[in-house]
Amino acid sequence: MDPALRAAASGMMAQQLRTEVIANNLANVNTTGFKRSRAQFEDLLYQTVQGSAVIGSSDNGTAPAIQIGRGTRLSGVQRLHSQGTLEQTNRPLDLAIEGEGMFQVQTGGGQTAYTRDGSFQISDQGVLVTSGGYTLQPTIRVPNDASGVTISRTGIVTVTRGNDAAAPQEIGRIELARFANPSGLQSLGENLYQPTPASGEPTVGFPQEEGMGRVVQGSLEGSNVEIVQEMVDMITAMRAYEINSKAIKNSESMLEIANNLVR
Amino acid sequence: MPPVTGLTSAAASLRYWERRSEITANNLANASTDGFKAERVFARLLGAAGEELPVAQAATDMRGGTVRTTQNPLDVALQGDGFLVVDTPAGERFTRGGSLRLDAQHRLVDAGSRPVLGEKGPIVVPAGAQVVIGDDGTVSAGGRPIDRMRVERAGAGATLAHEGGTLFVPDAGRTSVAPAERRVQQGAIEESNVNPVSAMVDMIAVQRAYASVQKAVTTLDSVREKATSELGRPV
Repeated sequence: MDPALRAAASGMMAQQLRTEVIANNLANVNTTGFKRSRAQFEDLLYQTVQGSAVIGSSDNGTAPAIQIGRGTRLSGVQRLHSQGTLEQTNRPLDLAIEGEGMFQVQTGGGQTAYTRDGSFQISDQGVLVTSGGYTLQPTIRVPNDASGVTISRTGIVTVTRGNDAAAPQEIGRIELARFANPSGLQSLGENLYQPTPASGEPTVGFPQEEGMGRVVQGSLEGSNVEIVQEMVDMITAMRAYEINSKAIKNSESMLEIANNLVR
Repeated sequence: MPPVTGLTSAAASLRYWERRSEITANNLANASTDGFKAERVFARLLGAAGEELPVAQAATDMRGGTVRTTQNPLDVALQGDGFLVVDTPAGERFTRGGSLRLDAQHRLVDAGSRPVLGEKGPIVVPAGAQVVIGDDGTVSAGGRPIDRMRVERAGAGATLAHEGGTLFVPDAGRTSVAPAERRVQQGAIEESNVNPVSAMVDMIAVQRAYASVQKAVTTLDSVREKATSELGRPV
């Protein structure tokens, strides 16, 4: 009976981990550019039990082998990089990406990190930075006397200077990076991701070229968490947890019955 | 060989129900394991004619699990009875777990880092290229086809042995699935095919049946008790 107890216990553990991942998704339902995660499991090694159950049989066939699994374990947490909802903010420096691609920013250590969070600000040095203060790459310097910033769908940033609204001036172009397997990106927190061997190297390109998405000015990408989906998953996880706990109770009562065979 | 008595057949039956409970527990534990296939247990009578005893036998339920879209370019769900072939130190294995990623050598690997095999061996994706996987498992990178995933099915009537990590040991009768018959869906994952409700029903049935057999054992034992204590007693 021991295998049943252990397998059911591993099942309870799995559903608990799954609930933790779902809870984090729900907690980030309003986080800009957040991508929801999903816990992944794999089954454990199997024990092949030969049919030693045939008592008193002579020659009439052998019992077939039977495999007994030992439960499940977490194999990874996969991030799902589907498109989040676009929320219109009308703020000129809010950028959303519709389609593939991520913004490239420079983190404190000089490394490049990637994000879908496009709520940019102008830093004291006049360059575009994320709300966390990381510089957008390639650097876009906005002149002091700029009175308006326009960012096209293809990422071209133009400004109007002073009162000269008729002569917009191009100051740079936003580049995006995409990955062969975005779910392999490692999360750094603060909506930032870094590449890993599992994600592959970034391909850099301009928006709306080579499969990159387009840049939408005045909008932000919300999280891709769908509350209904998470709720359904949570209910499923909770029920599966319950059933696994019932399985433990069941095996326990079977053990008790077995013990009571001897009076 | 001693004759099969009520007690021996009851013991065999108890063992059968225990096996069934163990396997049901494993199915339930893997209710959220991608690509997992549930085991079904049934009893087979073995032994001399008239003296058969129930023995557990299991078969894998090969029905497809729910396909869930993830929109991750390296997730694949297979429809039908095909399997992906992965390379492991112990040899080639079948899997339906389609959550793939890249490893440090740019090979396409499964969740357990086992290389997915194409017709030319492990599928190596050029650095920085976007991967498109076609219906028939053709893997293209940067618009150019590089290889086609091997999709194979087990021989007719074969029972595939499980191995941990949602792998199956292929049988000798395995054949390749013709490209036209394949349905490889990119951006989706096949979930476990365990139905928790039916597993739960099974569990209750197992527990009750086990209790009934125990009752039978108790009854048989009390008959023996009577026999030993009362037979031969002077009247």
